[in-house]
Amino acid sequence: MHSTPVTGSAARSTPAGGAGPATAAPVLEIEELSVRFATPDGEIPAVNAFSLAIRPGECVGVVGESGAGKSQSFLAVMGLLASNAKVEGRARFEGRELLGRPADELNQVRGSRLAMIFQDPMTSLTPHMRVGDQIAESLLRHTSISPAQARARALALLNRVHVTDAERRLDQYPHELSGGMRQRVMIAVALACDPVMLIADEPTTALDVTIQAQILQLLAELKRDQGMAMVLVTHDLGVVAGIADRVAVMYGGRLVELGSVRQVLKAPRHPYTQALLRSMPRVDEPADAPLLTIQGQPPNPRRLPPGCAFHPRCSFAQETCRHERPPLVELGASRLACHFPVPAPATPPAEVTP
Amino acid sequence: MMRYALRRILGVFPTLFIIITLSFFVIRLAPGGPFDEEQALPPEIKANLEAAYGLDRPLTEQYLRYLSGLVRGDFGPSFKFKDFSVTELIAQGLPISLLLGLSAVALALLVGIPLGTLAALRQNSPTDYGIMGVAVLGIALPSFVTGPLFALVFGLYLRWLPVAGWETGQLRYLVLPVVTLALPVIAYIARLTRGSLLEVLRTNFVRTARAKGLPERQVILKHALRPALLPVVSYLGPATAFVITGSLVVETVFGLPGSGRYLVQGAINRDYTLVMGMIVVYGSLTLTLNLVADLIYGWLDPRVRYD
Repeated sequence: MHSTPVTGSAARSTPAGGAGPATAAPVLEIEELSVRFATPDGEIPAVNAFSLAIRPGECVGVVGESGAGKSQSFLAVMGLLASNAKVEGRARFEGRELLGRPADELNQVRGSRLAMIFQDPMTSLTPHMRVGDQIAESLLRHTSISPAQARARALALLNRVHVTDAERRLDQYPHELSGGMRQRVMIAVALACDPVMLIADEPTTALDVTIQAQILQLLAELKRDQGMAMVLVTHDLGVVAGIADRVAVMYGGRLVELGSVRQVLKAPRHPYTQALLRSMPRVDEPADAPLLTIQGQPPNPRRLPPGCAFHPRCSFAQETCRHERPPLVELGASRLACHFPVPAPATPPAEVTP
Repeated sequence: MMRYALRRILGVFPTLFIIITLSFFVIRLAPGGPFDEEQALPPEIKANLEAAYGLDRPLTEQYLRYLSGLVRGDFGPSFKFKDFSVTELIAQGLPISLLLGLSAVALALLVGIPLGTLAALRQNSPTDYGIMGVAVLGIALPSFVTGPLFALVFGLYLRWLPVAGWETGQLRYLVLPVVTLALPVIAYIARLTRGSLLEVLRTNFVRTARAKGLPERQVILKHALRPALLPVVSYLGPATAFVITGSLVVETVFGLPGSGRYLVQGAINRDYTLVMGMIVVYGSLTLTLNLVADLIYGWLDPRVRYD
């Protein structure tokens, strides 16, 4: 089996998989990112040696259980981690290093070229500010337009994200809007300055199912129309399926599998990804078919198991897995960290009819 | 907002009525009366005096009479300060007490909020520990200790300010009493602001504001500080009332002719009308200030308005 360990420079020359322009330089290039939190009981590792490059216009779904380090990785990129976080590694956005830079330098990028929306729209808007002002604020900060122009643009943005009765909403407070409406407002805030990239951190987790679908539809539409690169952090593979071009699976603070959405969802190579997929209910199977669960608990970041962090829950685990951490290796366009991967199907996944 | 304000204003009157009724009867429960002197008056003279002030009537009748006077804005005559009506006495002293109290609260806000904000932004630094250490002292030391201490240092040794006394329009007489009165309030407001700002800085909407690329100054001033001031505002109503009514000690220490002394003297002398007058004035003041605090609260947090 030909496989080469991925190093910093090798990662950059990795050929593209899935959709998206293969030759364009990445918008965001994360290399060897580590995040640790200093606590009174010692340091807790949250993210370990995480590398990922996002190309212009593509959507990468970042998937994993709670505590897998997916949100922390991107909060680190935005410089929004709590003050007890220690960040190492590199994250270049449009060729500009973001990690370890002072806030006023990050502020030239945050909210203008690089925007982020969060999990909980109920608490993510400032309660005492009118919705229109919260959208206009970003514009006034990053562009040199007048308050009146900013208000007109805020109105256009609310219409863009399909907020009904947008004119009236401008002067309302967040508590007067529903959860779905508020997430739309959050998206409008993020879109204000036409960012080249949007990081969506579990944007639908706090919403009910019908609203989730609407918000995802909106994100897919924005990605298509604006040509914006997108990172979709989620624990829900179903969310990823409809919108992402590539999927990155994280476990125990590390990237364990990366590939095109078709490859990862149709023919996962990592036992964890496979288990995740099997634990999802499917409409094309009988309703009374047993739903598999992944045995055990997500690992405690304070006491990560030695070797492969997934081995205590893995049905394929062997002696090697208990002692030796599998390196992240390149397999064509994909990447995988597993000693005993699930065999690839005989026909290449690209030819499987979806 | 208007309907909320109106509803709250109308709510003041029943509360005030209960305060007046309760205090009217409770004062009468205290032994003795306004005309009990060390040398007992001849019974005929005492009876004449009581008749002149209507004290010989049944208590309910006196109560109704007092209420009808009150509605017309008449607090009645003082029993002890002969030839003075209660209205006149209060009109003399209250402006000074109000000036003193309101200046102290204004000073406390102007100093306490920035100090608390600074401590929160520099959490666990020497600045933070310094401010919080002084704040604990400020709360712990009573004004009858700090007042004379200030008079001693700034009045006697440094001779910067008058030790005591009052001259209308002379602000320098106001400095030491105001500072003395404001000190514990500054300390309390600084602690409240610090704690609450630290909490707000961890909220999601502050993270959103940072994700927008706003400068830290704007994040604090526009997004974090307003919700952080909610507990300060709730404390402000009772604090102002405390400062205005509690200025007695400071007025005594610095020899100011405020109205604080009337409450104490009136109570000792069983000067029923004076005590009642003071209670009505202080009661309305407290209720009004709480009302103002609630209205500010509604402005700070739009969710309060339509409860």
